[in-house]
Amino acid sequence: MTPINAVEMRGMVKDYPLVRAVDNVDFTVEQGEIHSLLGENGAGKSTLMNILYGMTRPDSGEIYLAGQPVQIRRPADSIALGVGMVHQHFMLTPVMTVTENVIIGNEPTRGIFTDYKKANAEVQELIDKYGFHISAKATVESLSVGQQQRVEILKALYRKANVLILDEPTAVLTPQEVKELFVVMRELKAAGKSIILITHKLRETIEVADRVSVLRGGKMVTSGVFAKDCDASQLALMMVGRRVDLYSTRRSQVVGETALEVSNLNLSRRGVPILKNLSLHVKKGEIFGIAGIEGNGQTELIEVLTGLTKPDSVTLKKDGEPLTGKPADFLSNGVGHIPEDRLTRGLVVPMSIEDNVILGYHKRPAFSRRGLRRTKAIRTYAADKVKEFDVRTPNAKNLCSSLSGGNQQKVVIARVFSQNPDVLIAAQPTRGVDVSAQEFIYSKLLDLRDMGKAIILISADLDEVRRLSDRVSVIYDGQIVAESKADVWDEMEIGLYMTGSKQAGEETSE
Amino acid sequence: MEVVIQNIIPILATAIYMSTPLIIAAIGGAFSVRSGVMALGLESMMMMGAFGAVVGAYFTGSVVLGFLVGTLGGMLFGFFHAVLSVTYKVNQVISGIGLNLLALAATTLSMQLVWGNRGMSPLVNSLTTNIGGFITQIPVIGPILAGQSINFFVMVLVVIVSWTVLFRTRYGLRLRMVGENPKAANSIGLRVHALKYSGVLICGALAGYGGAWLSLDQLNVFVRDMTAGRGFIAVAINILGRYNPSWIVPCALLFGFADVMQIYLQNAGIPSQLIQMLPFVVTLFVLAFGVRHIRAPAGVGLHEDS
Repeated sequence: MTPINAVEMRGMVKDYPLVRAVDNVDFTVEQGEIHSLLGENGAGKSTLMNILYGMTRPDSGEIYLAGQPVQIRRPADSIALGVGMVHQHFMLTPVMTVTENVIIGNEPTRGIFTDYKKANAEVQELIDKYGFHISAKATVESLSVGQQQRVEILKALYRKANVLILDEPTAVLTPQEVKELFVVMRELKAAGKSIILITHKLRETIEVADRVSVLRGGKMVTSGVFAKDCDASQLALMMVGRRVDLYSTRRSQVVGETALEVSNLNLSRRGVPILKNLSLHVKKGEIFGIAGIEGNGQTELIEVLTGLTKPDSVTLKKDGEPLTGKPADFLSNGVGHIPEDRLTRGLVVPMSIEDNVILGYHKRPAFSRRGLRRTKAIRTYAADKVKEFDVRTPNAKNLCSSLSGGNQQKVVIARVFSQNPDVLIAAQPTRGVDVSAQEFIYSKLLDLRDMGKAIILISADLDEVRRLSDRVSVIYDGQIVAESKADVWDEMEIGLYMTGSKQAGEETSE
Repeated sequence: MEVVIQNIIPILATAIYMSTPLIIAAIGGAFSVRSGVMALGLESMMMMGAFGAVVGAYFTGSVVLGFLVGTLGGMLFGFFHAVLSVTYKVNQVISGIGLNLLALAATTLSMQLVWGNRGMSPLVNSLTTNIGGFITQIPVIGPILAGQSINFFVMVLVVIVSWTVLFRTRYGLRLRMVGENPKAANSIGLRVHALKYSGVLICGALAGYGGAWLSLDQLNVFVRDMTAGRGFIAVAINILGRYNPSWIVPCALLFGFADVMQIYLQNAGIPSQLIQMLPFVVTLFVLAFGVRHIRAPAGVGLHEDS
């Protein structure tokens, strides 16, 4: 007897202008399993799941839920059919309570009024049943990121979801929260729910999933293999289509003088101290990594290090000389900046690649003469950079908005690296880029370091910090709370520093 | 100062009276902003309300029908605002300002077309029913209520019902969710456009009623640019009142009070030019210092697919 599949998608096709995002895909999820849907950014996994959730309409294909053919036109349809989705960017209203966020759309009523008493009781019962440890009456903004994610899961459970789609659920979590999420996922599985885990993280897939399907370029390349039979490099090969170097790195060989030194850095916003007497330094030929949960002062630290924000107090020295001035002065003093958000500070997306690749350096004699652009020189320069940094575009005159995230990031990298900075502030250098672009950016960063440059790497991606850094540190609540040579701490230990549950110098209890 | 103390009861009575249309219109604005649509067009909706009310009263002779037509006039411009800013996703500031300009021009032109006079409409029947009877015998409250029209009760009803709808009903929760996070609302299957339309239409209706108050309760005529910035004051009251009917009431009373003080203090020996500035000084200070920590719904100006 074959068990009835919770989800069966057959021959799904979705075309977008110029690209077939989902190409004749079959996808099957059994009842009560955790099924990992693996693929790079743009492989079509989000599109496929948006079809299942009713956010996107397919051009063709059939969907069966529990063996029955169904028509899903909008999210309301899929919700009614027992499909729930936990979005990567939470679909929550921070100022409202957990209960309000959970019941909305299915509110219990008494007469014309919403029955908040009953609602609170129902939601709290659900919270207790799955051991989520939050209060139904708390406002969502008062919860941690991991707790907010549980509210998202509650939303689906409250609607009696049988199939749960988790879209990149670990992207925003600390290692501890990831572990807790996995516990929750196993519990849901034990309760008979089917879970689809959308991810590009291989280790997670192997750790928590029962089966794996891999999408590449809109096509299903591997369908429903058992996770326990796979290893990471096999999965990477399926996902990327060629061998990728997942773990290799190299440490600094020659460390020189101190290149940048920061001490006594204090910064308050609206009377709230954000950075508290922070000190750090980075030497030539070294990558100094700063790990931490977002919102612990990283953004402000980056702004201070690049001249974008004037702190309340700071002593900033580059090669022993005081460094002050506006952002442009920092740039001309050889402090390069890869901004944490390429769309707000990294690029002017509606402008061309040519313009973006000289942005901030456009006054240099190479690009401008007597206030006028040297169009030809810029064009040749941009074409060179596009080639050197492997930006996938037919023409450097194209707009940056036409590029994928990974290629946009390469434009940022090309601009900064080509001006040969002495010190590089690299913030989230590979956020939202695919594995290939990531590999490329890593090798460029390591090359720059080997040329004797100093790099400060600020990233929420713990794997990234651990892989690249010669010295690792953790920022928590506006201070560097711990620092160590590379390869000393394991992931869990850094995680403890990141959440402030462990201070430097304490013995590890585990 | 003695003038004020001696006349405290008539001053309070007049303050409440003058605040009535501001409260109703500002609560309309609350419905709009709570649904995620800026209410900069309140001025135009009040203007259409004032004009529509006179048209209605002129052609039917009935004050009640006048208020009804005024309300519909406000809703018409609410509908325009919704079409522009919800369906066609036009920038809400531009839509609001555009409608404000349109309302002034449209009412002026219509007066010329209907009555052959672009400055003033003919006099019409207006609301004459004042509160009387046993209520006026109650100490302190009685004399204050004695000067009010029946619209005082309408206003109280609007405040209570609006608060209940916004914060105690399923519709209110959904409306607020749309205003806070349209994407989230869409992702759980709420009908985002329909909810936004409803918020803006309620806004138009209430602002229209507030406008009708100007032409049929306070006066019995429509004059060019009758609202004269009251719509904008209602916008300020709505923000200061945190888009919440129960907060809007005291905020509107503050403005009404400043307005009345201005009238009374003119006899107190202070140069009248300074005194006349009072309501505007209050507005200025309130907008400069009062609204800094007020958080608008996070989804204002956003769409379910943005």
